[in-house]
Amino acid sequence: MKFLGYVRPDGSTGIRNHTLVMANGRGAATLAAMVSKLVSGTRLFIQPNENGRDGDDRKTIARTMIGLAKNANVGAVLIVGNKPDAGYPEFSYDAFVGEIAKSGKPMETVFMKDCGGFQDALGLAVRKCRNLVQKASETPRTEVDFGALNMAVKCGYSDATSGMSGNPVVGHLFDTLVDNGGRAMFAETTEVIGAEHIVAKRFTDEGERDKFLRAVERVEEEARSTGEDIRTINPIPANIQAGLTTLEEKSLGAIVKSGTRPIQGCTQYGEIPEGRGLYYMDSWMSSTALFLGFAAAGSVLNIFQVGGGWFPDDAMMPTVNTGLITPTLYMTGNPRTWDKGWREMDFNSGTVITEKEPIADAGGRLVDEVLAFASGRLTKGETLDIRDNVEVYLRGPGL
Amino acid sequence: MKALIVMSSKDNVGNAIEDIVGGDEVSYTVDGAQHVITAQDEIPFGFKAAVQDIPAGGDIIKYKEVVGRAAVDIKAGECVHIHNVEGKRGRGDIPGGQA
Repeated sequence: MKFLGYVRPDGSTGIRNHTLVMANGRGAATLAAMVSKLVSGTRLFIQPNENGRDGDDRKTIARTMIGLAKNANVGAVLIVGNKPDAGYPEFSYDAFVGEIAKSGKPMETVFMKDCGGFQDALGLAVRKCRNLVQKASETPRTEVDFGALNMAVKCGYSDATSGMSGNPVVGHLFDTLVDNGGRAMFAETTEVIGAEHIVAKRFTDEGERDKFLRAVERVEEEARSTGEDIRTINPIPANIQAGLTTLEEKSLGAIVKSGTRPIQGCTQYGEIPEGRGLYYMDSWMSSTALFLGFAAAGSVLNIFQVGGGWFPDDAMMPTVNTGLITPTLYMTGNPRTWDKGWREMDFNSGTVITEKEPIADAGGRLVDEVLAFASGRLTKGETLDIRDNVEVYLRGPGL
Repeated sequence: MKALIVMSSKDNVGNAIEDIVGGDEVSYTVDGAQHVITAQDEIPFGFKAAVQDIPAGGDIIKYKEVVGRAAVDIKAGECVHIHNVEGKRGRGDIPGGQA
């Protein structure tokens, strides 16, 4: 199984070829945004304000940005800023620009301090960015093995079909990807509560398993600290309207999307795993944060596996695009959701219910679709030039 | 006949894969054997029905795992949802946090 991808200097393989524009501190965000607006082929990431955040949150912001720049869907990087060292140590020149430079991809920097102010910095940044985009565009697609892919999955709008016909089909895809040497990631710590004993058994390393179990315990303790019945928080109202009853039921249906292979590690939000195989990323469930975190962790294709049983009959499926540089493949295992939302969705496994299609057959069809999207076919979401608001998963208080 | 999907022989609930109303005959297959129950009330697509009687306080089993406990007595064929089931985990409203 082969596809046509972009092989980067560090050996990673992308399926898209964007130029990423970022500022090394919140103060130059406007400059970055103006450059990105003017230059085609760019993607913009504006970080949350790093000021007033604790060290862990600053590390998370920096890790997310560095990860986005290193992602194989990025062919070139432009960093702008007020000055090379943007304040906190996480954004020092060496820690930030230097770390991104290790990827070996074309990169330029523009600092207002060196340009005599905003306007000249803008001119220089636009010129450098156009050169970067042109350089990136010279990268050819070449034939690579299926196992060169890094993918991630989130399930959403969960209902009963998520556990029956949606997530199991992703699980089959992930098993196939892992067996071929690829990397797959799943996440959502709230939504392993009640199923953590099953997931924990699959960790190959005891230390990583402990990290995972501690993460689940931490989130459950946070849920308890609200003083509420967990159902007022999760399952979310849409899940309950679609027939899901308890968090345990949602979790057991959700973990099936990870497939059946051993889990190599429990990583932080936006952390790039060290090896191949299956990984768990300790994170929040929010789609505005999770797809971004997956992209920072190296995913070049995110899957959004939706149930959607609560949709009104005439609803247009909302197109969530929060991976910025990583496209989202929408799929559903709910035949009714597909009937209502096929204009916005890329794959239907509701046939497992309506046609009794075996999970392995639907999973095989999904592998074929993934190869096509990886080779350059746009997802339906990508055909709209919309990028939703994103947020970095921050845990600490604003101080 | 209307149908439920029951994921495992250990489960005491199954999911409706079409809209079911009270009085409908409903079939499901477990380990190759077909069973038929009568729906006691409305079970919309995606919602659960009990396939056996579950006493108040008894475990609700799906995917061979406990997904909650019955808040009241539930009869076979009744819809199983938040009106008669309680989650057991992460409960801040309960001392100790687990029902």
